[in-house]
Amino acid sequence: MSARHTKRPLGLVLGVALSLAAVSGAAVAAVSAEKVIAERQKGLKAMGGAFKTINDNLKTDAPDAKLIAAQAKIVKDWSHHIPKWFPKGSGPEAGFKTAAKPEIWTDPAKFAAAAKGLQVEAAKLETIAKGGNIDAIKAQVKATGGACGTCHTPFRVKS
Amino acid sequence: MTGTPATRLWDLPTRITHWSLVVLILTAWLSGGQQMQIHTLAGYGVIGLLVFRLYWGFVGGETARFSQFVKGPGATVGYLKTMGRRTAADLVGHSPVGAVSVVALLLVMIVQAALGLFATDIDGINSGPLSYMVDFDTGRLASEWHELSFRALQGLVVLHLAAIAFYALWKRQNLVTAMITGKRRFIGPAPNLKFAPAWRFVLGVVIAAGAAWLIARGLKLPKL
Repeated sequence: MSARHTKRPLGLVLGVALSLAAVSGAAVAAVSAEKVIAERQKGLKAMGGAFKTINDNLKTDAPDAKLIAAQAKIVKDWSHHIPKWFPKGSGPEAGFKTAAKPEIWTDPAKFAAAAKGLQVEAAKLETIAKGGNIDAIKAQVKATGGACGTCHTPFRVKS
Repeated sequence: MTGTPATRLWDLPTRITHWSLVVLILTAWLSGGQQMQIHTLAGYGVIGLLVFRLYWGFVGGETARFSQFVKGPGATVGYLKTMGRRTAADLVGHSPVGAVSVVALLLVMIVQAALGLFATDIDGINSGPLSYMVDFDTGRLASEWHELSFRALQGLVVLHLAAIAFYALWKRQNLVTAMITGKRRFIGPAPNLKFAPAWRFVLGVVIAAGAAWLIARGLKLPKL
């Protein structure tokens, strides 16, 4: 009888403790998912902003190759963060606002290749921009924009 | 409908503007987010048409002028009260309620076009011609509002079509043919409307095309 008495509260305590741990563990995961989503959105926005600056500048009568090279470096630098921006559990299932499609995690090889593609094209753009040939820059901006698309078309929810 | 012989009501520039807006806004709608080059060109066309319509609202034919059809709240409410009657309205040009619709449509189209000028897509690849004046976040906001104001425009177009259906079914009045042919039979005496000379139309086209061209260039004059 007494053994049973002590056993029951122990089970209860254990159960409560376990469920508390589970809840806090989920909370930790949620916090980090939220954080990683915010982080990648910040970076992707910075890339979009840099891309806009490049395209705005190319529309002017006298495009500034130096400025474009600097903006291309921003795109290139951020592009190297992409592989660590999408840990498992940071997709739509995390419950936060994200346009990331589950395919990122079901087809990781394709996703990795697309990310790599942007890194290559953005680096090329920086090099070409440093060269100063506006026509070549325009062509490479197009290629780099295409590289954005290889990821965005299959892996981002259409807005 | 019997009455007078078909009498001129809407001038040709007003009708051309009306139907061109129909075509270009449909084009912009279908190409939006898909074929941005077509979308942008359609937008420039809409801007030219809006500039022309505003100009024509001051110097165009009588029924195209704001001063002829924009009425105060009293007249508008007064007309609303008679609108439910199953008799044809024998008004010359826009009714006071129709005038509200015209002004609302013009305003929303102006807002719609203006927002598009500053909009940027999510990748920073396609931007309106004035988007260079604002940063990425503002351009994105303009893009979101551009979509919202299009919902408002769609709503107004639905109302516009519903009003045409109402006149056709309830009042047995065909409003569409007059907007195509420019002519209508009147029940009462035929109105003696004043229309604008052709040179004003030509001048308006030049002004509208010039304005659209300048906006498309990002409001930058070419270096001479």
